[in-house]
Amino acid sequence: MKLSTIEYVIREVFFSFRRNSWMAIASVSTVAVSLFVFGMFLVIVMNMSKMINSLESQVEISVYLQDSAAKAQIGRIEEQIASMQGIAEVRFVDRDTALARFKERLGEQQFLLDALGDKNPLPNGFEVRAHRPDMVKTAAAAISRIEGVETVKYGQDVVEHLFDITRLIRIFGLALMVLLAGATLFIISNTIRLTVIARRKEIAIMKYVGATDWFIRWPFLLEGIVLGCFGGLVAAGVLWVVYRMITAKVYETLAFFPLIPAHPFLVYILLVILVCGVLIGALGSTISLKRFLKA
Amino acid sequence: MIEMKDVSKIYENGAVALEHVSVEIGKGEFVFIVGASGAGKSTFIRLLFREVLPSDGTLSVNGYDVIAMSHGDVPYLRRSLGVIFQDFRLLPDKTVFENVAFAMQVIEAPRRRIQHSVNAVLDIVGLRDKYKCFPSQLSGGEQQRVAIARAIVNNPALVIADEPTGNLDPETSWEIMDIFKRINSSGTTIVMATHDKHIVDTMKRRVIAIEDGHIVRDEAQGVYGYEA
Repeated sequence: MKLSTIEYVIREVFFSFRRNSWMAIASVSTVAVSLFVFGMFLVIVMNMSKMINSLESQVEISVYLQDSAAKAQIGRIEEQIASMQGIAEVRFVDRDTALARFKERLGEQQFLLDALGDKNPLPNGFEVRAHRPDMVKTAAAAISRIEGVETVKYGQDVVEHLFDITRLIRIFGLALMVLLAGATLFIISNTIRLTVIARRKEIAIMKYVGATDWFIRWPFLLEGIVLGCFGGLVAAGVLWVVYRMITAKVYETLAFFPLIPAHPFLVYILLVILVCGVLIGALGSTISLKRFLKA
Repeated sequence: MIEMKDVSKIYENGAVALEHVSVEIGKGEFVFIVGASGAGKSTFIRLLFREVLPSDGTLSVNGYDVIAMSHGDVPYLRRSLGVIFQDFRLLPDKTVFENVAFAMQVIEAPRRRIQHSVNAVLDIVGLRDKYKCFPSQLSGGEQQRVAIARAIVNNPALVIADEPTGNLDPETSWEIMDIFKRINSSGTTIVMATHDKHIVDTMKRRVIAIEDGHIVRDEAQGVYGYEA
């Protein structure tokens, strides 16, 4: 593209904004609102994902050993479990510790254990954590086949429930994002279409005198990109302030709530919003021009 | 210059505008296309710059195969010719100079050449001193002269005019025709659709008469042939 053409394109865009300044402001604001909601949702989904992930990873496998297992055998079993794929941590819990914990949990009803006298009915065991929650099931099955292991238990229902919830949130989030992207696209392409219609005569004349499609397209494309970019900037700015405020508040009052820290997480989100704005702007103007360039 | 062989145009609604039309127009000719409204005159004109595509036949304009050419090549066909309309089609928010320069801008001509060529064609149409005016400040005849300047500023080999005097009074129409004559005498082919009996009869140029989608008459020094 020649320098004079670039100058022409920029002048046309500037001129269009001046002529339709209210329309431009209106579409920048709508784009900003959509992208803000989109960004907010992205932030929420990612935070929930993180929370669920940390919950999921806390699901433990309890391994109970046969009473006949000797010390050496216990060591071997521990090594065997630790060397399995996807195992994050293996902790030995001897029967005395297990009993102490059990007593603690019973609290005031400890007297129930008095009937046992000095006998400890609890077996030695391991507490095993997997790297990823979807590994829990296979790991549990594998462990149960090790010689000397009596039974293996894990929160099967809990894990599967959490899975369902995560999946649901992700699908819902994706659907909402697609919907919002569609709405934003519609708004931008409508705004550009107004400019295109206002300049229909000009486009027709450009075609009569032999302008190429790209020459006609550039000013509108740039207009869409600028609209989307400005909308994205506004959305990103507002989201930045809002997220900062929320994290500050949460850290103050609900310190245990694991929000993702603003830096660098938020920077990525803001970049995504900006890129989305630009892409949607470009796509919107392409859509609205298509019909006019056909003939 | 223009070679039309067995061309038909049937619109999507089934209306037959042209049927098996064959005609050749050579370089430097000045041709009037005459006929009643709805006879196919306008379609004939619009085929030449590919605003409509023929349904059948072959058509070559300025060496471009109008039917086989790709969408991306259409701008280059249009750069090789100039088009003038009855309603001038100027841009109201651009000055006379800018309106003419626009035709060079869109084909990315260098700025210095734009300045030079626009001044030259404004001289030809006699509007050099009104280069700063907006179309709304000009008379109909002056506006059409701006449109002519825009059509010829890229030195096309062919100028196509669709009823260029249709909105003008007789005296102004003659001013326009004088400009056309001058352009034609420099070797540019002119194809002009018109209703103006007086102009056609006085100019004594080639006349192609279209009726019901057929060429019914093609005379080297023809007359309008209908009652005005």
